[in-house]
Amino acid sequence: MTPANARASQSSTTAAPKPARDRTLFTAELSQALAESRRRDGAWGYYPGRAGRLESTCWALLALARHRGATVDIAPLRGWPAQKGWLIDVPGAPVNVAFNALAAVVLLQHPDGRPLAAPIVSNLVSTQGMALPQSDAIRQDNSLQAWPWIDETFSWVEPTAWSLLALKSARRQGIGQSSAIDVRISAGERLLADRASRRGGWNYGNSNVYGQELWPYVPTTALALMAMQDRRAEAVVRAALQSLQKDSETERSAFALALAAICLRVYGVTASAIESALVDYLELSRSIGNVVGLAMGLYALSGAHDVDGFRL
Amino acid sequence: MLSAGRMMSTASDSRLSRRDFLAAISAAMAAGCWRKAPFDRHAFTVPARSAVGLFAATSYSADLADIIFRGFQELGVNVAGRRVFLKPNMVEYEPGTAINTHPAVVAGAIAACRRGGAAEVVVGEGPGHRRDIEYLLSSTGLYDALREERVRFVDLNHDDVKVVPTKSWYTDLRDIALPVSLLQSDFVITMPKLKTHHWAGITCSMKNLFGVVPGAVYGWPKNVLHMRGVFESILDLTATIQPHLTIVDAITAMEGDGPIMGKPRQLGFVAIGSDLPAVDATCARVIGLDPAKVPYLPPASGYLGNIDTRRIDQRGESPDRFAARFELIPSLEDLRLPDR
Repeated sequence: MTPANARASQSSTTAAPKPARDRTLFTAELSQALAESRRRDGAWGYYPGRAGRLESTCWALLALARHRGATVDIAPLRGWPAQKGWLIDVPGAPVNVAFNALAAVVLLQHPDGRPLAAPIVSNLVSTQGMALPQSDAIRQDNSLQAWPWIDETFSWVEPTAWSLLALKSARRQGIGQSSAIDVRISAGERLLADRASRRGGWNYGNSNVYGQELWPYVPTTALALMAMQDRRAEAVVRAALQSLQKDSETERSAFALALAAICLRVYGVTASAIESALVDYLELSRSIGNVVGLAMGLYALSGAHDVDGFRL
Repeated sequence: MLSAGRMMSTASDSRLSRRDFLAAISAAMAAGCWRKAPFDRHAFTVPARSAVGLFAATSYSADLADIIFRGFQELGVNVAGRRVFLKPNMVEYEPGTAINTHPAVVAGAIAACRRGGAAEVVVGEGPGHRRDIEYLLSSTGLYDALREERVRFVDLNHDDVKVVPTKSWYTDLRDIALPVSLLQSDFVITMPKLKTHHWAGITCSMKNLFGVVPGAVYGWPKNVLHMRGVFESILDLTATIQPHLTIVDAITAMEGDGPIMGKPRQLGFVAIGSDLPAVDATCARVIGLDPAKVPYLPPASGYLGNIDTRRIDQRGESPDRFAARFELIPSLEDLRLPDR
């Protein structure tokens, strides 16, 4: 029975509630599982035994560092294959802009990571999604150019959120040409504002198609909110924060709940109910060996509430 | 009303419309522009005749393993000793809708493959819309079904990948990264849900292959395919992957604004065949669409399979038994068969 079904069953019976798990013990188990799934070359695949990939490695590094209360270990990224300033996730495949931005965020959390992050930051400044003609079918401004997943495609919420986080971190640390970074940050923020759902939050990219409002999703909303954390007075951000808290009650998985918990921590909002649910849902991540799910979960459940590496 | 989002991108607008795509292909053929076709003619052989089986299944509680296995026997499908890869359609979850291939059909196919002597059965999908695989697995019920069947699930969005050459070039893509679990299997079965599709007209065996393109490489919603053209991508993916079989969940299909926002429509059959264009053309006719107007089917008939009824041998039930007039969004009305 999946956690979702288990929760439904629990709610429909009078059975005694499951005792809360010891959080310290649980996170120690997650940490051990994550450490054991590390490859010999120091990277992590998306699943144990798989090829090392950029996203899973970044999340595992962040999670283990946070759980141990240590500085993030950037050694695996230092030796990562690179080309023209980009880290190469899959040789022969297009450069993944979003996960390079995530890598920059990780590198910028370590004093020695700044020189390694600088070329990525420079590439992010010069990368933009394609502008397209306006479409009657879709309510959005297609001229806005933020960040695509891969080159020569359209801009989407996730790569834009990661790129904004990377550039805002770089700007704070004085890396890169500040005026150029400001221009790109402004473009990214305009795109997120344009693509926000009217009820608050973000779908993957389009907010209204053929006259129908598209659902915001928890993971995309959490990421976009993290990218817009320095704009929290804006209406679009306030609405998204409300949407995130509400949708986290129903859209449940380790991936969604972990990102929601991390985002709420960045915003200084208590997320104990989400964290409790996350503990349950991480069982599925563990059973299928989902490294990113485990790492996000460990990151979300570890460390002090008033400190977070994603906080700008 | 809020919707779950669509597997579309504004990028689609930058490519050819359905009508333009057909016109362009017709014009190119008439003018002899494609002296060199966008595929290697020697690499493809369209069979003289293709068998398509439609097998009645009134509900998901029917003995689907038996129905599918009888289909295998009737069509001469041999999976003995094969490592079978089942690729269902899992896009989004919303209670009471008919978005995804039903887990009971997947379980039935697993049992039928085992009864047929398959050496291994693996199930995999890479949702093109929702990135959150755990949410989809648990909410759709597929996780429970696979656990009961003790079958491994592969998250195709995050599998190891290998860059392979494409075998046709309508998209101009000369290579594409594909999941190794798919490439390492030796019998690929595409398992779509039969639905209308607001861009492609119909989503069935061939369009279902969008789900094998790894999101962790190309992003969500697999934007590169939309940028390169939906029809073109359907053709190139089918040519490159060349699935061995399709098992279509048309027990409850979707009409109207598919592939996500449409309405469930009871049809009551499972379609099986090894010629994907032939199966898709048959399913299109059943729901009232003219395969000759579904943009990717006429070019597919030039190298991937048959769409002409005169070259399709119907097995099982007659398509007339299930014939329906599906509700279509206005922009798809021109695809309708004249007699529907």
